[in-house]
Amino acid sequence: MSATSRAQLCFLLLSVTALRGHARFLDMQDNEISPEGLLSLLSSELKRELPEEFVYRRALRCLDMVAVEGQFTFTAERPQLNCAVFFIGEPTDVISIEYDSVNIDCRGGDFIKVFDGWVMKGEKFPSSQDHPLPLYERYTDYCETGVSRPIVRSSQNVAMLFFRLHQSGSSFTVTFRKLINPFPCNVVSQTPEGSFTMIIPQQHRNCSFSIIYPVEIQIGELSLGQHNDLKRSILGCAGSGDFVELLGGNGMDTSKMFPMADLCYSFNGPAQMKVGCDNTVVRMVSSGKFVNRVSFQYRLLGHQELQQMKGNSVEDVCLRA
Amino acid sequence: MKPVPLVLLITSVLLSHIPLSFCRPRDLNSLHNQLDDLLLGRPGGGGGGDAMSVLMGEKLLQYLQRSAQRAGGALHLPAPQQDNSLEELSEFSKRNDDPPISIDLTFHLLRNMIEMARIENQREQAELNRKYLDEVGK
Repeated sequence: MSATSRAQLCFLLLSVTALRGHARFLDMQDNEISPEGLLSLLSSELKRELPEEFVYRRALRCLDMVAVEGQFTFTAERPQLNCAVFFIGEPTDVISIEYDSVNIDCRGGDFIKVFDGWVMKGEKFPSSQDHPLPLYERYTDYCETGVSRPIVRSSQNVAMLFFRLHQSGSSFTVTFRKLINPFPCNVVSQTPEGSFTMIIPQQHRNCSFSIIYPVEIQIGELSLGQHNDLKRSILGCAGSGDFVELLGGNGMDTSKMFPMADLCYSFNGPAQMKVGCDNTVVRMVSSGKFVNRVSFQYRLLGHQELQQMKGNSVEDVCLRA
Repeated sequence: MKPVPLVLLITSVLLSHIPLSFCRPRDLNSLHNQLDDLLLGRPGGGGGGDAMSVLMGEKLLQYLQRSAQRAGGALHLPAPQQDNSLEELSEFSKRNDDPPISIDLTFHLLRNMIEMARIENQREQAELNRKYLDEVGK
């Protein structure tokens, strides 16, 4: 036997051995190997079959933040009238919240509502301008649809659960899962430093990446499908259907933030800006005619940098440099 | 060239010792409960549980969820009275637009909460990885 033939036979044996178990797994789908079936093997929803000891469980607090998948229970030891749980995933996640068991008195004024996004001080992320759903569709009320619709799914990596329980002993349990979002649009960053590439593939929509810190943003690449010449950019991005803008503000709603810079021509190479606001946003507006893409890095501004910006600043608007 | 086929051969021998059951999903009580719910919920639902594969059950769950979402997703406005239709609609809209509870967090508190949630996530992910490795090592 030649060396080549022997290597080929070894590779064949390796392949058959590796596939042996998976083939039986696929056979369980009535002998149909469809792309959907293959994808289901990769789906994180298969985690539903995890044994009990692999599921993370803990009690919820009245005001809580959850980033880990698992099962969460709240039990009222006294009336709890103003409670909220923030859920957050990685930028490429969407959130799934499933009602496992609910023991509340809907007729007595109790409620559990899931919001598709975050609300803080009355300001919403994503803003109404950026979210594909009208506002009333972004709320899901357990008392209205919980029984028929036990799973709520978010449109981005953040969601929120509001609840009010009037009687001690009332309780509910939810399972939080993170599902993969192949084209993340609206994102809240978990960290003050990182990098991200936002791609809007020929969709007429606006997407915002929110960094709730004062940061320096360095855009490495901006690719807008249309080819704008440099002259037009001098006049600003008015009239351009595809552009990127940097926003700064002290709230969650991007439509109430200050425009710090806008970019409506493609380029490669670093373009950086410091934004000394509590919330810094990279927002892309897309006409839907082109594939638009922006890559950027961000890092937290140091205390001295902020002080220096404050000293140089004349305006009251968040510090910029 | 000789070491390369040898590596492949050794790897295939090691893989052949992985029990086939490892590639199957585990037989879970929660899964049985889900399947029981499915069977009980189906009109004229027959057939033994053994006949239903795990993935078929998963597909059925997904199908039922999508059906429920389609049904539940429809917005049913309350029937407005003739005299107060505009006021009723405005009130309805107001109720849904306003956050049900006002959360007044500073960004400082929000950042701290996110940081603690990240730490919890990383800790539990490490714990989960350890459990997986222990399970594989059995």
